[in-house]
Parts: sequence; C-alpha cells; structure tokens
Amino acid sequence: MDRHFDEELHKVKKDLLEMASLVEESITKSLEALKKQDIKMASEIQEIDHQIDKFEIAIEEQCIELIARHQPVGADLRFLIGVIKMNNDLERMGDHAVNIASYITYLIEQPRIKSVSNIWSMAREVKEMLNDSVKSFMDNDATRAQKVCERDSVVDEMRDETIRILLTYMLEQPETIGSAIPLLLVAKNLERIADLSTNICEDVIYIAQARVIKHHAEEKEK
Amino acid sequence: MIIKTANLNLYYDKFQALKNVNLSIKENLITGIIGPSGCGKSTLLRVFNRMNDLIKNVKITGSILIDKKDIYSPVYDLILLRKNVGMVFQRPNAFPISIFDNVAYGPRVWGISDKKTLIEIVERSLAAVDLFDSIKDRLKDSALSLSAEKKQRLCIARLLAVEPQILLMDEPCSALDPIATGKIEELMIELKKKYTIIIVTHNMQQAARIADDVGFMLLGELIEFASAKKIFTNPLDKRTFEYISGRFG
Repeated sequence: MDRHFDEELHKVKKDLLEMASLVEESITKSLEALKKQDIKMASEIQEIDHQIDKFEIAIEEQCIELIARHQPVGADLRFLIGVIKMNNDLERMGDHAVNIASYITYLIEQPRIKSVSNIWSMAREVKEMLNDSVKSFMDNDATRAQKVCERDSVVDEMRDETIRILLTYMLEQPETIGSAIPLLLVAKNLERIADLSTNICEDVIYIAQARVIKHHAEEKEK
Repeated sequence: MIIKTANLNLYYDKFQALKNVNLSIKENLITGIIGPSGCGKSTLLRVFNRMNDLIKNVKITGSILIDKKDIYSPVYDLILLRKNVGMVFQRPNAFPISIFDNVAYGPRVWGISDKKTLIEIVERSLAAVDLFDSIKDRLKDSALSLSAEKKQRLCIARLLAVEPQILLMDEPCSALDPIATGKIEELMIELKKKYTIIIVTHNMQQAARIADDVGFMLLGELIEFASAKKIFTNPLDKRTFEYISGRFG
C-alpha cells in the first residue's frame, strides 16, 4: 500500500503535468492565432494563463508544505526541488505564449510579410521540445531529457536565421518594418520557450540521476 | 583516518551481530551510524572502546585499528583505550555525587590529586560543554539536581576531563526534549573541532543535521557509508533510500 506521502508526491506530479498540458495548449493556440491573425483566439490565451498561474501557486504551496512536514530526502527531495523549478519555468512559458498572442494586434494593422516559413518550422521544433521535456518528466526519462537539451542549439540557429530573413525584409522593403518587428519578438519568445524546455530537462536529469548538467557543471568538475 | 575496521565480524554465541564491516572514520568529523533497531549499530560503537568485552561469549574477528594500532591486540593497553575513547549513553548517567566530583572522577582515577590541578581540569571541562558559567556556584551540589540536558553535558564534561581523542555517543539525545537536543547538537558541532565523534542515532534528521559522514547498517551489515550530503540527497543503495525516507519494511 502506498504511504500518504507517496500519494501526495503523485498528486504534485499529476498537477504539474496538468499545468504543462495547459502551457502546451496555450503555446499552440497563440501560434495558431498568430498564423491566422485571429484576435478572438488570441484573447482565449489570457484565460488559459490565469489557470496556469493558479496551478503555479497551488503547486508551489504543495511543495513547500511537503518539504516542511515530511522533510524529504534522496530522490523525494530532488523531485520536489525539481518540481518547484519546473513550476516556475512552465509559468514563464505561459507568459511567453501571452506575449506571442499580444503581437497579433500589431501585425493585423501592418502589411503582411509573404514568406516567413522559418518561424513556423522554429515553432514546430519548440513545441516538440516542450512536448518531449514534459514526457521525459512524466516517465522520469533522463535519456530523452538529454536529447532535448542537445536540440537547444538547433533552435538558436533557427532564431538567428529568422532574424537574418526579417532584417533583409526591413532593409529591402522598409514598409515591412511594422510587421517584421513583432515577428522578431515572436522568434525571441519561441527561443526562450526552448531555453525553458531545456531547463526542465536539466531538472529531470537531476531528479532521475542526481546529476547537475546546467552550465556544463560536470565538465568543469573534471 | 583515526579508526579503520577491516573484515570485522562479531558474534554473540552463534548469533552474528556484525558482518564483514569495513569502514574508515576520519578525524575531527562527526560520523553518524543509522539503521533500524537491532541492526548492530550500538554493537559497532561498543567495539571501538571494547565495551563488548564485558558481555559473555562475544567473539570478534577482523581488525579494528585506532591510530593504526590494533585495539584487540593482547598488548594493547585497555585502560588507556577507555581513556582515549569515551562514551556517552542514552540516559545521562551522572554519578550520585557532587558536580565537581563527577568531573574530577576520571582525573583522580588517573592519579591526579593536586587540588589546584583538579579545579583547573573541572573548570576547563565544564566550560568546554558550556556549563561552567551557569553552575559555577553549585559545584558542590549533587549532580542529580541538574536538568536532563545539563546532566548529559556533565557526562560529556566528565569524558573531556581525561582528555580523550574519540567520543562515542549512543543515542545521546533520545531522553531529551527538542530544545535540549538542539543545544547538545550545537555542542557536538563545537566539540568536533578537538575530538572525533561517532554518534548512533535513530533520529534521521539529527544525522542529517550534524553528521559529516553517515553509515547505514542493516542486519549487521554496513550497507552504505558516505558523506551526509550524499546519503541524504543521492544514496546509492535502494535499502538506504527506503530507510531514510521512511519506506523501510
């Protein structure tokens, strides 16, 4: 029979996964709204973000209470510390989705830029990274988490490429500046979401294997 | 290394209480020994000052070195060992004599009779356990009049009076309330600057708070021995994790 504490840990994990699925929904919707330039859809993001914020507070409170009352050790301690950090990262991702949705208002008023397919492939990659980071947490899978971390540089390159394309537009067709700037900001927000997915995976590796891989800590120790 | 055991086995008649224990205890650290009741942790502690010699039909194999000398060698001076390796017990066992005489007991056994020297030793020992200032006017009172925490401090002062090197503590806080426990723990952290401390405790949080190294024992075996940080954040053995997280059994 599970102990009460195990049930509580299970509930924290369930809540974090539920929050993560809201974050995924929020990012997907914001990108869809951006693509369709759909203001109504964009306005729904705000409501999802309120739910995400409520989850953040509730999960943080649960973790603090469990640490205070059960004084966890070993894998339990690492799990709760990891969850507190992931909780933060997921909430930030929700804010980035809100940001992306907010740029639609500016874009609607501006002439459309014909070809920015790069931004959509970047969005696909970022969503996959987030999805894999959540899966790695769900399955406590350090191998999958490690692979996500390695993909962060791919997104960085895609962002640089997007900036180059948009700069060219701005130089050659100054009338596109009003559209290019919000798209630059979308690229920046997507890149941050990828960074935060990487953070989540670093925490998954810490929870699963007690290894600290951020800031190349292991290599520096050698 | 101040203490090193190699292939240590201990039998009470046919019952094997310690099984092939290999460990190294470092100087000026607090080493915590944890494990469920009957796992052999107190037996292990008593090996280090040969207290088990007092129990009938005890057989020990393997070696226990303190400062590279085999303490079970026939030529080893047992009286010197007991002076060098003091022990604090679960219940503070103050003698039913005055506070002064409690602390002076050891030095007198060792032949010190000069009053001035004895006063110096008593004052220094009581000060080392942070007791002198509060009881300096009551040194002639019975030690039994002290609170449980002060009695335990007195027992530690009694050990320090004979200038030991190692302090063995067998559940030294289990008869004390949380405030007294906190004070004894602070004292232990202070004392490790001069002494090597080995503590047996059922209180996992106590080991987590004060120990530098921790050994987990189960059914007479030393399952894992590592830094407290390692044991309490990433124990290697599943049984260690199950015990420290309360999932054991």
